[in-house]
Amino acid sequence: NQQKKARTIKLAHTLDVSHSVHKAMVKMGEDLEQLSGGKMKIEIYPNQQLGSERECLELLQIGSLGMTKVSVGTLENFAPGMRVLGLPFLFRDREHAFKVLDGPIGQELLNEGEQYWLKGLGYYDAGCRSFYTKERPVNKPGDLEGLKIRVMESVTAMDMVRSLGGSPTPISWGELYTSLQQGVVDGAENNPPSFYLSRHYEVCKYYSLDEHTLLPDVLVIGTHLWERLTPQEQAWLKQAVDNSVKYQRKLWAVSEAEALEMVQKAGVEIIRPDKEPFSKKVEGIYEAYKNYPELYKIIQEIQETR
Amino acid sequence: MEYLPVLVLVSSFLALLAMGAPVAWSIAISALLTMLVSIPALPAFTTVSQRIGTGLDSFALLAIPFFILSGELMNKGGIAHRLIAFAKTLVGSLPGGLALINVISAMLMGAIAGSAMASASAMGSILGPEMEKEGYSKEFGAAVNITSATTGLIIPPSNILIVYSLASGGASIAALFLAGYIPGILTGLFLMIVALVWARKKNYNVGKRSSLREVFSTFVDALPSLLLLIIVIGGIVAGIFTATEASAIAVLYTLLLGAFYKELTLAGLPEILLKSASTTAVVMLLIGASMCMSWVMSYENIPQDISSGLLSISDNKIIILLIINLLLLFVGVFMDMTPAVLIFTPIFLPVVTKLGIDPVHFGIIMILNLCIGLCTPPVGSVLFVGVGIAKTTIEKVIKPLMPLFLAMILALLLITYFPQLSLWLPGLFDL
Amino acid sequence: MGLRAKIDKILANILICIMALMVINVLWQVFSRYLMGSPSSFTDELARYLMIWVGILGAAYVSGKKGHVAIDVFLRKLSPVPQKRLRLFIDLLISLFSLTALVIGGGRLVYITYVLEQYSPAMQLPLAVVYAVIPVSGVLIIYYKIYDMINN
Ligand code: NA
Ligand code: NA
Repeated sequence: NQQKKARTIKLAHTLDVSHSVHKAMVKMGEDLEQLSGGKMKIEIYPNQQLGSERECLELLQIGSLGMTKVSVGTLENFAPGMRVLGLPFLFRDREHAFKVLDGPIGQELLNEGEQYWLKGLGYYDAGCRSFYTKERPVNKPGDLEGLKIRVMESVTAMDMVRSLGGSPTPISWGELYTSLQQGVVDGAENNPPSFYLSRHYEVCKYYSLDEHTLLPDVLVIGTHLWERLTPQEQAWLKQAVDNSVKYQRKLWAVSEAEALEMVQKAGVEIIRPDKEPFSKKVEGIYEAYKNYPELYKIIQEIQETR
Repeated sequence: MEYLPVLVLVSSFLALLAMGAPVAWSIAISALLTMLVSIPALPAFTTVSQRIGTGLDSFALLAIPFFILSGELMNKGGIAHRLIAFAKTLVGSLPGGLALINVISAMLMGAIAGSAMASASAMGSILGPEMEKEGYSKEFGAAVNITSATTGLIIPPSNILIVYSLASGGASIAALFLAGYIPGILTGLFLMIVALVWARKKNYNVGKRSSLREVFSTFVDALPSLLLLIIVIGGIVAGIFTATEASAIAVLYTLLLGAFYKELTLAGLPEILLKSASTTAVVMLLIGASMCMSWVMSYENIPQDISSGLLSISDNKIIILLIINLLLLFVGVFMDMTPAVLIFTPIFLPVVTKLGIDPVHFGIIMILNLCIGLCTPPVGSVLFVGVGIAKTTIEKVIKPLMPLFLAMILALLLITYFPQLSLWLPGLFDL
Repeated sequence: MGLRAKIDKILANILICIMALMVINVLWQVFSRYLMGSPSSFTDELARYLMIWVGILGAAYVSGKKGHVAIDVFLRKLSPVPQKRLRLFIDLLISLFSLTALVIGGGRLVYITYVLEQYSPAMQLPLAVVYAVIPVSGVLIIYYKIYDMINN
């Protein structure tokens, strides 16, 4: 009987169906069905239908949801080791980042979640986050002085903005457009597709590509579900995830280029500032990690990865 | 399609309501029973708790307790009397003057706050008792208050329009905001006409015309209270604080003003706080339970199944829009607005854009439509707030609500079939 | 003062304090942004958690006062005996829901967030503390409902 009825994994995320992550998840479902000969399926709930990122992670722990996709910025509140990935100017470039993420360090961090009943399966590309502002361009860290910058609910993100001279203001993503418009905050930071899809470019006409953080998205499965899968099922799922991750990274590159082109067409001035002065300013954050030898070791290992 | 979850949801919910169980508990219990169809008991129990808890975890929702509290303070602090005395000298000589004031204030309030529940709670607590004193029925007052409060969701700023923009994959928020003005005001006008006719029929108090001197003296009296609107609107527009923060400023201001008028005392504060907390709790349990119900509906794909079945009927633009409107009205009866927008926008938008309907226009249709749902039982947050504040019952407000619903549906039809009403203004700004 | 009156009084006082704290907190958020030059990062979170408390603890308080909105047209048309029985049945259902979803489910939620060491992002407050209000309210609601069932 078990053999006849396909195992359906419920996967919820907060993005729109036009997003590259969703498209890659659809492919993952198709691959899984094919690999397992129809024995496994994935049912996707997009658009925050089952809750925000934090709520979905809780649902995995509770056991009423199978999988979800969250930003590292959210996951770090559940699995503290992930916090290091949110450090500004940690990676030299994207190549370096994916070498680390797909290598032993990245895999170890994915597995660290298991003690919190959340097992990471892979990293989707979510690009680099950069500042966008309403009144004036950010060419150097000093330009952030006195600006209220919206950040995610993340300790690292708040520390970073503070180090660069801005005032970090946590505001929910949904309220950000009006907050920018009304001047409750003077700017925000995100990757190009999010800047474009949220239409914040209608308000903020300066986009400074300082690329301060490279925060990947993580595909997570609840250990409740993972441990119930047979080794064969786990292998099929792993394979489908790997295919999906590769596919998404290709889609991402396209959507990023597209987003930059579209915001430029809409009259946004794109600035490519020198990253050096920015990365100098945040060195204090790294110093603070010396009090956490385990995390500091990971940071050093990441920096030494060639 | 799985029929068992739908069957459990609908039958248990209707049975509980019919028995006379409190609405919030009926929603929560039927949501739990539906979860138990496909989720093991322990995770299901935990999920219910999590949905109720996180359903309330929103900074924007905070405007509700604050406007409830500031309304309470305005009542006890002698502010409401002065405001209404002034308003009466203006439109008091028209039939249903107070009801008209309610609609206009709700539209103004909506233009500030963007939350229908905040508006319903503020206007309900300020104007409700006054209307009762003037001989209006409690239920009529509540009905006018409930329906007019929703106009604030269409008149910008509006967080729900931003939710729609996100769900639609990027309809322009600036365009949506501009598109909201005419439909919002139009709906308000329709509601005013109904209020006027109803008041004339019931022979509600028609005051005498006021002299210019009376107008002036009541204006001076009301000036400090009117200043509140300027502080709130000005503060938000100037970017000094968010709409939620403005509601807290309103609490502070009314508190100080009430103390200045010597109508509020420190000893009286605990009672006011407790009363506001109770009113807040009634609303919050309903919201939490609705969030739970919405979640399980999404989990069981109930909304998608219903709409795909209905959309296989026709491909005529007028008929499809009619079907979608009916469907959304039905959805709004049972579902909270935010999840409804998030779930149904991706389902309907591709269908209507294929038929040549502008996404901005459709957004206005959708929100206006779901506004009606906010005023209907069994799941209607604005209805609950309005009824709770007026201390009446749902079944009693249904009768005066009927003609007001008709006005809203008429406005909805006009806005659906005359796209210019929504698209003209954004067009002026090339959006 | 009987036990029920005592519980009512304590609950009322807690609700009054939370409500006052909520207002002060959000006002502080505005003033800290302007007077101190730096926005306070904990106020948004504190406000939301206080509201969860006021909403859910308040729900228990209101249950004790029978203040939740119901559509009881049909119920009130029944003759006294079946009406009493039906009210008893509804109270029983609400108690059962409170026991399973709020006490057991809410308790498990507190347990999960406690053993998995979950903290709120800004204040680093254990989330178990925030969620603890759910099982507490569940117990209070059961107490009120059983009290009503016995004394009616
Ligand atoms: Na509004
Ligand atoms: Na409704």
